[in-house]
Amino acid sequence: MTFTGLIGHICMVPLRAIIGACVALRIHPNILTFVGVLINVAAAVALGQARFITAGFIMIVANIFDFIDGKVARELQAETKFGGFWDSVIDRFSDIALFLGLIYLYSTRGRTDYVMIAAIAMMFAIMTSYTRARAESLIAKCKVGFMERPERIVLFMIGAFTNRMAAVMWVIGVLSVFTVADRIIYTYRELRDAPPEPAS
Amino acid sequence: MKTLTLPARILWNAFFWTYERATWQYDLMVIAILAFVWLTPPDWLGDPMASGTGPIGWMLALLASDIVPFVVNAQVQ
Repeated sequence: MTFTGLIGHICMVPLRAIIGACVALRIHPNILTFVGVLINVAAAVALGQARFITAGFIMIVANIFDFIDGKVARELQAETKFGGFWDSVIDRFSDIALFLGLIYLYSTRGRTDYVMIAAIAMMFAIMTSYTRARAESLIAKCKVGFMERPERIVLFMIGAFTNRMAAVMWVIGVLSVFTVADRIIYTYRELRDAPPEPAS
Repeated sequence: MKTLTLPARILWNAFFWTYERATWQYDLMVIAILAFVWLTPPDWLGDPMASGTGPIGWMLALLASDIVPFVVNAQVQ
């Protein structure tokens, strides 16, 4: 087993208990999604006030909600197309909120350079999701590129807990640019190699 | 891709990422990212919230210094 796989297995132990509790209480998954974004806004406020450790703990709680909503929906057999749409939209708000917290922090410190780095990282993080969503309206699957949402969230937590948010912004920014490029290249190749559609 | 040399192919595969999570390639990428985040001196990046030279800066300073650490020059006067 790989070490990232092992970490995933270890994290699943408490998460299974939380999922079980939510299923027992029959909490609607869309409510879990919404609570997740509200808690992420609190994390963004903590980031904006340079309280990184607090932000890190709040992000853990928020992302538990983000992580379990889909699984609770499956367990409750409450999976709907709207639920998937709602989850994707709310996730984008959560992403943007965290970046805005950092942009606010850097602007209050007069650091225009890092305001720009965080803004560019935010732009490509959003474009990462958009390129996949748009590509999958044309091709079956477009799951290429490294820097997806779980990686971003874990990096935000690592940056917050170890006070290395600047390095994290560089990593998210650069790898998100690569991810967007990967998705454009992949979609181009898939469409180029696809058999021509029969004329109607 | 068949015409690429091994280093070029490694670079291309790192850029054009198609590996799943929990694979050894994913582990390597995670290690590289963590090394960058934790070892790069915050001063090099102009980190607005952290300062210091970090482990790499400490090692470079050690290598660059004329004084060899842990050697005691004991002379009886």
